Formats: sequence, C-alpha cells, structure tokens
Amino acid sequence: MSDARIDGYARALFEIAAAEGTLDEVEDELFRFARSFESNDQLRNTLTDELIPADKRQAIVESLLGGKATATTTQLVGMVVGSGRGRDLPAIIDKLVQRASSAKQLEVAEVRSAVALSADQQARLKAALTNATGKQLNLKVVVDPSVLGGLVATVGDTVIDGSVRTRLDNVKSRL
Amino acid sequence: MNLVHLFAADPAETHHWLLPETAEIIYGGIASVLVIGALVKFALPQFKKALTARTERIQKELDASANDLSQAQADASKIRTALGDIASEKARLLSDAQAQADALLKEGRARLTAEIAELEAKADADIAAAAARGSDELRTEIGRLAGTATDRALASVLDDATQQQLVENFIAKVGASR
Repeated sequence: MSDARIDGYARALFEIAAAEGTLDEVEDELFRFARSFESNDQLRNTLTDELIPADKRQAIVESLLGGKATATTTQLVGMVVGSGRGRDLPAIIDKLVQRASSAKQLEVAEVRSAVALSADQQARLKAALTNATGKQLNLKVVVDPSVLGGLVATVGDTVIDGSVRTRLDNVKSRL
Repeated sequence: MNLVHLFAADPAETHHWLLPETAEIIYGGIASVLVIGALVKFALPQFKKALTARTERIQKELDASANDLSQAQADASKIRTALGDIASEKARLLSDAQAQADALLKEGRARLTAEIAELEAKADADIAAAAARGSDELRTEIGRLAGTATDRALASVLDDATQQQLVENFIAKVGASR
C-alpha cells in the first residue's frame, strides 16, 4: 500500500478515536495488537487471507478483541481487516500512534519486555528514558517473550538494548 | 725359271743371264722414274694428308680423353664434395633434432614440474579448506549446542524475581545514563 493510503487510514482512525474521546486507550490497544499481529504468523496469515470472506475475518477480530479491548478498537481493527488492508495494519497503527504522540508533543518510546511491567515500573521507566533522551515520551510497552529477560527500548533511531536475548546472541556469536 | 735352269744357261747367248736387255733397262728405268714420280706427285701428298689427319684425329682423341679425364676428375671432386655436404647436413640435422629433442624434454620437464607443483598447491589448499570447513562446522555446531543448552538453562534460571531484577537494573541503568 502506498504511504498516502496508509496515512489516510491512520488519519481516519485517529479522527474516529479522538471523536470518541478514547484516543489514549485506543492508541495503546491498537499498538499492542499491532505488535501481536507482527509476531504471530497464524494470526497474520488468517487476517490477511483473501480467500477468507471479510465478514469471517471481522468475526475473528471480534472474537479476539471483544471484551478485552474497547469497542472502538475492535471496530477499527475490524474495519481495516474487512477492507482487505490487514497486511498494512501495523504500518497504519504506527502512523496513528505517531500522529497521536505528535498531537501531544510526544515521541513514541517502544519498550519490549519479557514480562509485563507494573504501572510503577512503567512510570519510572518513562522517567528514566525521558531523562536519558531529553524528550517527552509516549511510552508503549509490548510483552515479547523472545526478549527472554530485561528490556529493549526504542526511541526514534535510538535503541537501548538491555535484553538477555541480545547478550545471549552475543555469546553465541562469540562461541 | 728355277736355279738349275739359271745356272745351266748357255753363256754364248747374247744377253746376260742375269741382266736384262739395255733397252729394257732404259724403258724400265724410265717407267720406274715415271711411276716413282707419279707416286711422289700424287700419292705422297695423299699419304701425308692421311697421316696428318690421323695424327689430328689421334690428338683429338687424346684431347677428348684428357677432357673426359678432367671432367671425370671434376665430377669426382663434386661427388666427393657432395658426399661431404651430405655428411655435414646429416650431422647438422642430427644436431638440430637432438637440440629440439633436448628443448622439448626440458620444456616437458618444466611443464610437468609446474603442473605437479600446481596440483600439490591445489591439494594443499583443498586440504586446508576442508580442515577449515570442518573446523568452522565444528565451531558452529558447538555454538548451536551451547546456545540450545544456554536457552534451556536460562528458562529455569529466569524466574519472576530475576525478571523483575533485570527490569529494575535496566531502569536504574537508563536513568543514570545522562
């Protein structure tokens, strides 16, 4: 899909969430869904399979997110998947998150963790990253078991990697 | 007339038994002079001419023989020279053939030596590459096994407390980084 079309979808989702008054929550839910979509091959293949009717794919989205996410999030994801743009869902959502962060004068800080972080940990982590980068951040935490342990934080082009996975890979490459 | 009759002749006869008649002598003398003169006049030049021609013919034959001898000697000399040339040409050809054979042998030896050296170098390189490949494969396998073992060990080591400690360490480290 072209960047213009991705921008168009992102702007539409942003306007809808903002109009609903649930932008922060929807943005966060969409971000986490996008990361799950990227890491789960079966989910990605199912939601992008053109041989599966659109209503079936939307029903799958409903069954996955229904009751776990806001209705707005579920409807937005269902809309994108139903329109046959499921393959571009992560890019659309990333644009949406960037737009939402820019609207609040924030920069997106994506943090991958092997375990879920408590609210206190997220607050301290956000403060630490703000201190380290000198930027106001919109923290997005993704639970990613492939990290094994520790955290990987990405702010713009800066990557702060304290994961066990990376240290293990380094040891493996030396071996 | 035989000798008996001759000595038995009558001495009273008028002419001598031995000498002819005078007239006969005269006539005979004149005839003899005429005959001799005719011979001197006509036969002698022819005889001299014949002798001269014969002498010339013999001389010519002698000259021709001398020429033939000279020619034969010249031909013999040429043949001897040619034989000498053939011998030297044979020697030259043999020498050339020997030189070419030596050159070919030398070149063949050099090429063979180079090919052997090349084959040895290639064999050495192949052996070294095989050894390196084997070493790399062994190293990769050790790394893979070590990685697998580490992953399994980590799964049991990374309990919740350790995970939380890693998170706290990261936060502390990032917070102190500026």
